[in-house]
Amino acid sequence: MVPLSWYLIFAAALFSIGLFGVLSRRNAVAILLGVELMLNSVNINLAAFWRYGDVSQMAGQVFAIIVFAVAAAEVAVGLALVISVYRRRNTVVADEINMMKW
Amino acid sequence: MATELLIWLIPLPPVLAFFLIVLLTNRNKALSHTVGVGAAFLSWLGSMVVFVRALGVEHLGEHPFVSSVTWLPLGETTDTYFDIGILVDPTGAAVLFFVAWTIFMIFLYSVGYQNFGQPKGDHDQAGLPPHGATVEEHGHRHRVPSVEPMYSRFFAFLGLFAFGMYVLVLSDNLLTLFVGWEIMGLCSYLLIGFWYAKPSAREAGVKAFMTTRVGDVFMLLGVAYLYSATGTLSFREIFTEGVLHTLATVPSGVLGLSAAGLIGLLLFIGAVGKSAQFPLHVWLPDAMEGPTPVSAMIHAATMVSAGVYLVIRMFPLISLDPTTMAIVAFIGAFTALFSATIAVAQNDIKRVLAYSTISQLGFMIAALGIGAYVAAAFHLITHAFFKALLFLGSGSVIHGMEHGVLHTGDHKVDPQDMFNMGGLRKKMPITFWTFLIGGFALSGFPVLTAGFWSKDEILADAFGHGHWAVFITLAVAAFLTAFYTMRQITLTFLGEPRTKEAEHAQETPWTMTVPLVVLAFFAVTAGWVGIPEHFPALGGLIPNWFHEFVGGTLAEHPEAVEFSIWPLLTSLFVALGGLGLGWLVYRNVKTPAEDRLQIPVLKNKYYFDEIYDYLFVKPAYWFAETVIYKFMDQGVIDGFLHSFGPVTDRFGSAIRNYFDLPVINRFFGDGSANVTYWFGGKLRVVQTGRIQQYLMFALVVFIAVGAALYFFLLA
Amino acid sequence: MNFIDTHLLSLILFVPALAAVIILFLPNGENRVFRWFAFGASFIPFVLSLLVWFRFDANQSGFQFEEIYVWYEAIGSSLHLGVDGLSLTMVLLTTILTPLSILASFSITDRVKAYMILFLLLETGMLGVFMALDLLIFFVFWEVGLVPMYFLINQWGSANRNYASLKFLIYTMGGSLGLLLGIQLLGVLFNTYDLQIITAQWSTYTEDIAGIPASTFKTVAFWAFVIAFAIKVPVWPFHTWLPDAHTEAPTAGSMILAGVLLKLGAYGFLRLILPLYPEQARVFAGALAVLATAAIVFGAFASYAQTDFKRLVAYSSVNHMGFVVLGIAAAGLASGTPDAHIALNGAILQMFNHGLSAAGMFFLVGVIYERTHTRNLNEFGGLFPLVPVYGGILIFTSMASLGLPGLNGFVSEFLVVRGAWPILPVYTAIAMLGLLFTGAYILKGIKMVLHGPLNEHWAPAGGEHKLTEINTREILVMVPLMALILWIGIWPAWILDVINKAVVRLF
Repeated sequence: MVPLSWYLIFAAALFSIGLFGVLSRRNAVAILLGVELMLNSVNINLAAFWRYGDVSQMAGQVFAIIVFAVAAAEVAVGLALVISVYRRRNTVVADEINMMKW
Repeated sequence: MATELLIWLIPLPPVLAFFLIVLLTNRNKALSHTVGVGAAFLSWLGSMVVFVRALGVEHLGEHPFVSSVTWLPLGETTDTYFDIGILVDPTGAAVLFFVAWTIFMIFLYSVGYQNFGQPKGDHDQAGLPPHGATVEEHGHRHRVPSVEPMYSRFFAFLGLFAFGMYVLVLSDNLLTLFVGWEIMGLCSYLLIGFWYAKPSAREAGVKAFMTTRVGDVFMLLGVAYLYSATGTLSFREIFTEGVLHTLATVPSGVLGLSAAGLIGLLLFIGAVGKSAQFPLHVWLPDAMEGPTPVSAMIHAATMVSAGVYLVIRMFPLISLDPTTMAIVAFIGAFTALFSATIAVAQNDIKRVLAYSTISQLGFMIAALGIGAYVAAAFHLITHAFFKALLFLGSGSVIHGMEHGVLHTGDHKVDPQDMFNMGGLRKKMPITFWTFLIGGFALSGFPVLTAGFWSKDEILADAFGHGHWAVFITLAVAAFLTAFYTMRQITLTFLGEPRTKEAEHAQETPWTMTVPLVVLAFFAVTAGWVGIPEHFPALGGLIPNWFHEFVGGTLAEHPEAVEFSIWPLLTSLFVALGGLGLGWLVYRNVKTPAEDRLQIPVLKNKYYFDEIYDYLFVKPAYWFAETVIYKFMDQGVIDGFLHSFGPVTDRFGSAIRNYFDLPVINRFFGDGSANVTYWFGGKLRVVQTGRIQQYLMFALVVFIAVGAALYFFLLA
Repeated sequence: MNFIDTHLLSLILFVPALAAVIILFLPNGENRVFRWFAFGASFIPFVLSLLVWFRFDANQSGFQFEEIYVWYEAIGSSLHLGVDGLSLTMVLLTTILTPLSILASFSITDRVKAYMILFLLLETGMLGVFMALDLLIFFVFWEVGLVPMYFLINQWGSANRNYASLKFLIYTMGGSLGLLLGIQLLGVLFNTYDLQIITAQWSTYTEDIAGIPASTFKTVAFWAFVIAFAIKVPVWPFHTWLPDAHTEAPTAGSMILAGVLLKLGAYGFLRLILPLYPEQARVFAGALAVLATAAIVFGAFASYAQTDFKRLVAYSSVNHMGFVVLGIAAAGLASGTPDAHIALNGAILQMFNHGLSAAGMFFLVGVIYERTHTRNLNEFGGLFPLVPVYGGILIFTSMASLGLPGLNGFVSEFLVVRGAWPILPVYTAIAMLGLLFTGAYILKGIKMVLHGPLNEHWAPAGGEHKLTEINTREILVMVPLMALILWIGIWPAWILDVINKAVVRLF
């Protein structure tokens, strides 16, 4: 069986890619994609720990499913916001959506 | 009807009449006086029945008519009460007799005096004496007396007054006696001030009430003292040997008097006020402001007698302490002489009688002070009859004179001034003869009149028991009495009319003359019931019934005084001498200027009014207004309270200015706000609005914190 | 019916408050509706208290018609109501006077709704004090009564009303601070505010409290209580709020103020001070007697000095309430003796009597004020022929106030004097000076208003006079008062019996 660390390294890599996407992309939709990646990397971790831990404990799987739900909701709201901003400001560039400042 | 029940009912008709008149019938004059006189008649009838029945009881003193009911629930167990009730013993019966007669006569007389049946006055108004009305008869106009505007009210007041007197006489205890006493006080106030729109009448009413109230508060103390010392106020329970003995032996702690002495003295002060004895005599002459029937009511029959009646009632108690008795005797004798001297110089027909009343009451008080119980009671009764007669007679004279005044239309003539009269015996014969009888009775005209027998008995008692000072004082006073009485009769009735008004004076209607005749009858005969047994010629013809009867009230039957010729000679001399001298001096006097006795000090009543005004009335008002109200209440107390305002204000502003504003507001309040503001201003550059910068920052912090935690905690 | 039977006291207490709330929701508009509704509502407690009076068993000891409701369990206070002979008399007085006062206020035209609401709340406040058997409840109602009175004076009073209402409120509040402190102390000490429990334990309490000897503590608490009640009675020298408040208050306000509010103070003396501090009451009876005598004498003198008719009557209250305190002082000194019982009988009866006669006097002053718009005695004079019925009623009521035998005041004053004389002879004797001047000021009032030459101002020659006679409504206010005055004067047994039995049992 593949050792646990492989999964963890994979998840960390995926998380870092997501983080990089969130921090560096200018398109708001891309930022949302980055967030999705980060969430899914966590899911991988959850599933991996469940599999390598006590299999009879269902908590890891349950958490993963909850994260799916949250991610789906988050994307729904996030995309709705992006569309709303786009309609008003005609842009989806994150740097230009900077009204909430001093 | 049982006698006790009847006695309970006697006081009720007048008070019912009072309420009936006040509430219902006051608009109808005829109905009102019918109610009033009818009530007086019922009470009179009841009194006479009781009196006759009392005569039929043997040893009434030991077995009086008594009955009582529970009144105030007081005390430790649920069935201890303060009882009130009625008592008719010999003294009570004798007093009841004269009270009933005089009250009934005065009610009847008032109908005429207040001009019932006469037309309404032209300009009369409530609160002022009627001024007369103009009527047209047989084609020419003339003035006649007009009816009193407050006619109904007068009978209502008289009714309440009568109620007070009956309550007083019939009470078996001091408390209800005091109730009657004060109700009379109220009525005297209302009746003296009956013509209240006259400032003088208004003042006189207040003066009468206040002066008697001085006595009343002392009396109230006496009653309270007696009640707390004996636990009862019932006469019959107090006048038992054991109670009296205790009272006589317990010291009161005041002036070395025994409890009995102090109680007696306090009660006596009440009597001094009510019976207008020196030094509380000042109200009585002023009380002449009231209508004449009132003067008769107050001065003769009832109210002033109440004081003497109280002393008679409480005699067993008062006589326990020799000091108190000496004071009583002194006050009485002094008053008798003192006011007789004033009476000599008065010109107002009613004022002479007023001072004479004070003087005669002094005789009674002095008699009580020397222990002459029966003589005092005797004089009380005879005096009530002849003095009521004199007052009503003087009212009749004034009425006749007013007729003359209306006829001439000269309202400046005072119808009460004796120097405006003269020769009235022909114009007003009934009034003259009855007045003469009354005057002679007052002077003590020998043998025939009642006044002779009672006054003689007082003098005999004073002489017999060796009270020389009292004897001489009273003898001189008696001489003066005869003198001023004759002066009055001479000036009023004898000689020729001195003014036009006197020429046109007229005899008064039957409602006024009938009471005069009835009272004149008693002024003569009332004395015959008390002729001493050993009196020359007459003694023993009629037994000395009065002494036996009234003396029976006391536990120890008083011994009749040994007969002596000296007091008899004295009273013969003073009565006849005074009358004779009075006639000799005044038969030719025509004007006040010719009267040599018009000495200012006598005329002005020894300036007592002025002295009292200066000593008591003005200082009291000054004390009340300036000291108590302006200085103490408004100055000191309110000043003190008002000082709280500024002090609190200062304190408050000090806190605000030196603590709240600098410390709380500036330092803590404004200070913390300022710091936050400054800090926020400095920090706000961090807020770029770029979400990725925030995330970047969060990542950096996260890593830094994570590194720090790792470094410090794990490593 | 059963509900009424078991909740008599709370019904009496809260019906007025309830009615006040209902009036609040009545639509604005017709003043007549408010007046009659308030009158009707205040009549219910009267009928109920009559019911209580007739069902009351004077021979039974302790409180009757007791009701307990949970109120503030955490600190041991409950809504505990009950009456004995002492408080029942006062409840009856309150429920008699309130409808009469409301009837007397029918002439108020300004903001009738608010006026009636305040008046009904006032009644609840006063009744609560008389019925409370819980110290905290007692205090709450004590203060509740203050507020409506303040607004009544402040809003419907005459010219100087701001000063008077403020003085009234601050003075009474200031006094009750000590009372509150004392009550808190007792509450903390016994972990309950129930009067019966506290009375049983506190009067014999001897342990130290917070290191201070109980006697010292009690003395301080005693004076805190005394001052609170003395201000309310009022005892000299705490009396100067009274003439101001009475004079400035609207007529009905003065009636209630003199008729009932002053009794709260005297009731406090009887209900709290004498039972709670028998020892201190005995020690300081002399001081209390001095103050009482001063109130009697100085009150009479000050009254005599007035030229304002209403102020004259106001000062007469100081004079009359002095007798109540004199009786209480005597009873404090010689607690348990027959003399003390007689003095207290007199004091309690005097409270009731003064309630009747003072309310009547204030009302009559109000009647003449409404017609003449002056209270200055020098501007009246000789009004008797113009208003004979009014004059007769005024003389009658004045005589009751003067203490004329045959009317109610005499019975109570005599009993106080009788009871106080063997205990405090010197003070009683000095108090007689006050009694003498009672006559002086009463006669002065009658003399200046009714008697004497007619003041032309009120009846110009030839013209119609400006003064109208007392009207039927006003006579209806006076009739019950006068009937009671006469009745108690002639046959006081019906009320004195209840008082006497309570007094013998309590003191």
